[in-house]
Amino acid sequence: MRDWRKLVQERLAVQGQNNAIDESVVQELAEHLEDLDTESRGSSLTQDEALRRIERRVGDWLALRQGIEGMRQEGDVQERVKQFWLPSLVTLLVGWGILATLIWAGVHPYMTHPGNPEGLFLYLPWLVALPFVGALGAYIARRAKSQSWKVYVAGAFPAVAMFMVFLLILPWAFVVNPQVAPGLKATSIMANMVSWVVLPGIALGLGVAMQGMGQRRRPAS
Amino acid sequence: MIRTELKRGTAELAILSVLESGPLHGYEIGRRIEEQSQGGLRFTLAALYPLLYRMEHRGWLKADWKTGPNGKRRRCYQLTAKGKKMLAPMRAEWADLFRALRRVARVSHA
Repeated sequence: MRDWRKLVQERLAVQGQNNAIDESVVQELAEHLEDLDTESRGSSLTQDEALRRIERRVGDWLALRQGIEGMRQEGDVQERVKQFWLPSLVTLLVGWGILATLIWAGVHPYMTHPGNPEGLFLYLPWLVALPFVGALGAYIARRAKSQSWKVYVAGAFPAVAMFMVFLLILPWAFVVNPQVAPGLKATSIMANMVSWVVLPGIALGLGVAMQGMGQRRRPAS
Repeated sequence: MIRTELKRGTAELAILSVLESGPLHGYEIGRRIEEQSQGGLRFTLAALYPLLYRMEHRGWLKADWKTGPNGKRRRCYQLTAKGKKMLAPMRAEWADLFRALRRVARVSHA
C-alpha cells in the first residue's frame, strides 16, 4: 500500500523554501488521496493508471501549496489587524479625541511651573479618562486572543504614538535653535516627555492591567 | 479576475449547500458536489482545500478530527451559525445572476 503522507509531503515540498506545511494539512490530504485510491480500486485500472488519475484529481500541487500558504498569510494579516491594529486605532482615536474635546471645550491644563519650559503640562481630566481608554483597547485586544505584550502596547497606543513623535522631533530639536542652551532643551524635552508620554502611558497601562484583573475575576462563560 | 471570483463564489455556495445536510470530510464534500451536480461541478484538491481553509478561517465552517466507524480519523467540516446565515443571501444572489444571464444571453433550461 502506498504511503500517501510521504507522497503529499514530497509533492508539497519546494526546494530552497521553508517547507513547513501543517502536519494536520498533510494528514488530511493524505486521507483524501487514500479515498481516491480506494475509489479507483473498484475499476480495472492498473496501479500507474490509478495514480495518474489521482494526480489529475489533485490538480496542480504548486497551486495547492500556494493556495494553502496564501490562506495562511491572509489569516495572519487578519489576525494582526484584529489583535493589534484595531485596538490600537481605537485607543488612539478615543484617547486623542477626548483630549481634543477638552481643548475645544476650553479646559485649561494644569502647569507645575507656569511660563517655565521645564514645567509639566497636565490635562488632569484627560489623565483621569485614560485608564478607561486603555481598558477599552485591552478588552478589544484580549477578545481577539492577543498576546499579553500586544494587549499592553495596543492599550497604551496613544502614549506609544506620542513617543514615536518625540523620537522624530528629538534630533530636529537639537539641531535648530543653537542659541538655546542644550541643557535647557534637554530638560524641556524631558518635561514634555513626562507630560505626554510617561504619565499618559502609566494611566493607560493602569487601565489595561485593571481590565485584565477584572476579566480574570469574572467566571468564564 | 472575474472568472476566478465567479468560480470561487460557485464553489463556496456548493460547499455550504452540501454541508447543510450535516458534517462531511473533504473527500465526501467533493464527491457529494460531483454527484449532486451530475458531474457538472468537479473540484480538484488544489481548488477545494484552500477554499475550505479560507471558509473555516472566516468562521463559516468548523472542522474537527473525528474517528469514523472504520477507525480512520477524518477532518470533518460542518456549517457554523455564520455559515448558515451566509447561505440564504448567497442563494438569492446566484438566483438573481442566473435570471439576469437568462435575460441577456437567452440561456434557458434544456
